[in-house]
Amino acid sequence: MSSILRTSNLLLISTASLMVLTLWMVFFWVPTEANQGNIQRILYIHVPVAWASMLAIIFVAVASIAYLRTKNEVWDRLAVATAETGVVFGALMLITGMIWARPVWGVWWTGEAKLTTALILFFVYVAYLMFRAYFPPGAQRQRLAAIIGVIGAIDTPIIYYAANLWSQAHPPSIVGPSSDAESAFSGEFGVTLTVATLAFTFLFLYIARERFSTRETEDALVEIRRSLGDAEPAL
Amino acid sequence: MTILSSVLRLAAIVLAAVAIVFLALLQTVPAMAQDGQQITSGIVVGVLTDEQGRLERFALSDSGGNVTEYSVEGSTEYGLETQAGDRWVATQADEPIEVVSRLRDHQERFAAITVTSRNGVAVSVVERESGRLETNLSFLFAVFAITWAGFFAYIFFVSRKQRELQRQLARLQATIKRNANS
Repeated sequence: MSSILRTSNLLLISTASLMVLTLWMVFFWVPTEANQGNIQRILYIHVPVAWASMLAIIFVAVASIAYLRTKNEVWDRLAVATAETGVVFGALMLITGMIWARPVWGVWWTGEAKLTTALILFFVYVAYLMFRAYFPPGAQRQRLAAIIGVIGAIDTPIIYYAANLWSQAHPPSIVGPSSDAESAFSGEFGVTLTVATLAFTFLFLYIARERFSTRETEDALVEIRRSLGDAEPAL
Repeated sequence: MTILSSVLRLAAIVLAAVAIVFLALLQTVPAMAQDGQQITSGIVVGVLTDEQGRLERFALSDSGGNVTEYSVEGSTEYGLETQAGDRWVATQADEPIEVVSRLRDHQERFAAITVTSRNGVAVSVVERESGRLETNLSFLFAVFAITWAGFFAYIFFVSRKQRELQRQLARLQATIKRNANS
């Protein structure tokens, strides 16, 4: 198969095309929202990034469960790759949310339910990666990391339903089963958000795939060193 | 792959430049001011009452973080909504105590209001009105700049790591080959 048609390249081309389309829609096509003005355009970044960070923890959980069942290293690699990508998306979710909150709420941060549970999700990712970095390499590390990954995923539905369950400052869900007709994005707003979400999902998949390849190379290196008797710890 | 990555990076830089120029060109819409009145939107950050629990003053934080204190008089008009969307309309003279709980409810919910004032005295206090667009372009710019800087920094980190690992792998493979030949 031609190298241009490899999965990685296809993902890159799709991501780039969708990102260009997203930027055009966000800045030139979608009308300015009446209440918040231009600041509302932040949501076309914040919501898709938040979606991708939650998608990441689902990947981590599914890969962790698969690893616990099969003990196949590929699942462990997938869990690490998506967890690390999830940290990047999670950090950007928190930062973009804070920047949106400052002019709209007048504060950078408040201890309300959705924000707190999102922060917990970020800490789950960080804890997962820290555990992997500091625990001695081996099957036990992978098993315990997988358990952390599965437990961390419990936070995902709590984040999604938090705004509806506790009705605090954060706007209610605008997509998915918990959104109602009043809060849901419709028309041009909805189309733009859908395209942006798709673009960031592709970006997430592209980055995670690249990180997965790096992890494969890391593991190959460790394997070769082990066979050479060079006792360098696993990366 | 390398060419494709370079093209993508170039496209991203061009797009970022276009976005920055576009943001700079976006028009700002200032708050209207008529007959010496000032209009400010923001969230309630403080409510002060007298001994009988009647509203005396309240403070508002606008989108720039500036806090302004307003006093009220009997003719001050209110048009505030509950979280369910029910509208409550009254004047200070009619409901001096009820207005305290309404403003505190807005404070807890971070629900924005628009205050029309003259010389620091609130003339009307209503839900933030549509049409009074707050541009805050610096916040919008910050979000796009930070997001893209974050992604590119991470992609750069991953690609550099991958290159370094490939180099190490090639070195090790060459060592194995040499050892096998000797």
